[in-house]
Amino acid sequence: MAHTTRTALRRATAALLMGACAAMGLGGSAHADTNIAGKKVIFVPIAMGISLTEGWARRMRQHADMYGYSLDVRDAAFNMNAMTELVAKAITEKPDVLVVHNPTVQLLSRQIKQAESEGIKVLQVNLQSNQPSAAFVGANWDRIGREIAEDIVKECGAGSGKSGKVAIIPGQLTAADSVIMNEAAFKVFEQHKEIQVVSNQASDWEPEKARQITATVLQQHPDLCAIFGHWDVHTMGAGNAVKDAGKADDVLVYSTGGGDDVACKAVEDGVQDRIWSYDADGQGRDAGTMIDLLLQGAAAADGSMLSVESPMKIIKAGADYDASLCWKM
Amino acid sequence: MAERRTRSAAGGRRQNTLELVVVALTLTLILTFAIFVDGFATPGNLRVVLSNSASLVMLACGMGVVIISRGLDLSLIAQMISGALVFSILVTEGVSAPLALLIAVAAMVLVGLINAWLIAYAEIPAMLATLASAMFISGLFRFAVLQGGFLLLLPKTDPVVVFLAGELLPGISMPVALMALTLLLTWVLLSQTTAGRTIYAMGDNFQAARLTGLQVRTVTIVIYVFAALTALMAGLVTSAASGAVDFRTVTHGSLLFDVILVVVLGGIPLRGGRGGVRNIIIGAALIATMRNGMTLMNFQTQSQDMLKGLVLLAAIIADNYVNPRDAETDTVGDL
Repeated sequence: MAHTTRTALRRATAALLMGACAAMGLGGSAHADTNIAGKKVIFVPIAMGISLTEGWARRMRQHADMYGYSLDVRDAAFNMNAMTELVAKAITEKPDVLVVHNPTVQLLSRQIKQAESEGIKVLQVNLQSNQPSAAFVGANWDRIGREIAEDIVKECGAGSGKSGKVAIIPGQLTAADSVIMNEAAFKVFEQHKEIQVVSNQASDWEPEKARQITATVLQQHPDLCAIFGHWDVHTMGAGNAVKDAGKADDVLVYSTGGGDDVACKAVEDGVQDRIWSYDADGQGRDAGTMIDLLLQGAAAADGSMLSVESPMKIIKAGADYDASLCWKM
Repeated sequence: MAERRTRSAAGGRRQNTLELVVVALTLTLILTFAIFVDGFATPGNLRVVLSNSASLVMLACGMGVVIISRGLDLSLIAQMISGALVFSILVTEGVSAPLALLIAVAAMVLVGLINAWLIAYAEIPAMLATLASAMFISGLFRFAVLQGGFLLLLPKTDPVVVFLAGELLPGISMPVALMALTLLLTWVLLSQTTAGRTIYAMGDNFQAARLTGLQVRTVTIVIYVFAALTALMAGLVTSAASGAVDFRTVTHGSLLFDVILVVVLGGIPLRGGRGGVRNIIIGAALIATMRNGMTLMNFQTQSQDMLKGLVLLAAIIADNYVNPRDAETDTVGDL
């Protein structure tokens, strides 16, 4: 209860600060009138070259240009060793805000703690470390995992006439989103004994591995009801395996993602059925706003982490399909 | 000559022992999985095993030919993804499939030529030359063609994608047909051509092959261009099936390890000179069976890698126990 109150307080604080910021922005000038010009922000994503991070960086740059602070993007290119080195180097450069995109819950935890202890405010985007910091902007993975699991129960559970068999394809077992979504989904499934998770194998975020796992599982369980892929990109492989097996009408393919136009195309092509989008474009804007606030000295009153949850958009195949839910770079 | 025959016979027996160990291990696994794993012993699962192994076998054909010549191609996976990228990007941009394929083939022939030139003319050791070219190729194609991106997603509605991932005949998928074609071409190259004979001679004793006047430089070009083309075939099949060209396969995946594992476990020694298509099939059968069985048993990817390593160790230990090392086999690079 105390945690809920604290979370609500943090969100209210963030909302108020954002409102103030937006009001300043409405003042009419092209450049916001604050004293944060010349400050330094470094962003270390897992990798550039994917719509998620490119979308964030685009919006963050807009904020940096508007307020006159610098934004350096240091691309780790999916190389975890390079990422820790880039973060270490960033800390030595003493930026005002360090933005990190955690590949796992533990990889950067020590460095986040070090940066915070040296007075660098750390903003974590979308994937949270087990080390708290100044702020977090991103999806509520617990909610996504729970909502998708509940939808699967509705479609495959008691009274549906389906087998109740589900295959889960996480990205990596130690990645924050996979850990939290699996925990939330299994909590739901445990209350519905008719749901049987027949496979729970990580794809290392690779479409080809997801395809091979799905093709094999479909042979073992031809009556499979649903697939829950933890990222729309690797779930493309799973969806293609379903389509190649001629089971696109029988197996529901669920995933989550940043919701760019590729996601809508996948739904249009019948490769995926339902995508819980956390709207990377909106997240980029939220992250930009949060950086502005942190540079202006925003902090939670009790010193805890400021948190902004990304609103969800559910891209669904069928009569409810709405292409406007997706954004384009 | 008589001495050479004796050495070959001794080596042949040794390789036969490893082949037998691997065949026995594969049959034991098949029997165990068939009894204990639900859904393993079905015709549908056999089709999945064949389809999932297609790209691995194609890559192993390329790597096998290279290793028989006492070479090594560490750029094979980079070539696979780069070739698939060239083809896929052209097709998605509206270029006709035959023209796109022609351009992709030309690009891969060029890559194979560069590798061969580095090894045969600049005389850089194959391992170093292909390690460097792997980095160069993946960097060049990622930045020049994909403009820094990691992924190219292919629409499943594209007729070329549908063709490459679809069925050629009822029950025979296109990837399986292309795998069979690659195996056939590898057999023809190794067994039915002068270049094939030279490849074995180069692997057996490179200096002797050169001194006797064999066209070792020209054949090196044949070897690395052939490997590049098998990589392209594997790339086309993989990208069409999964609907994505993914550069993380080069930088993060264990595919190169799997390819070398197939070749070596099948009985082609890293010191070259021996082996053939039969060995590639034997090695691929073990890895494909293990991978399929472990996926059916819901093993995590990390556990699968660990078990593959253990099987490799078990095969080496069993082989060494049955056939202890001697002066001929106790050389660097030999299994």
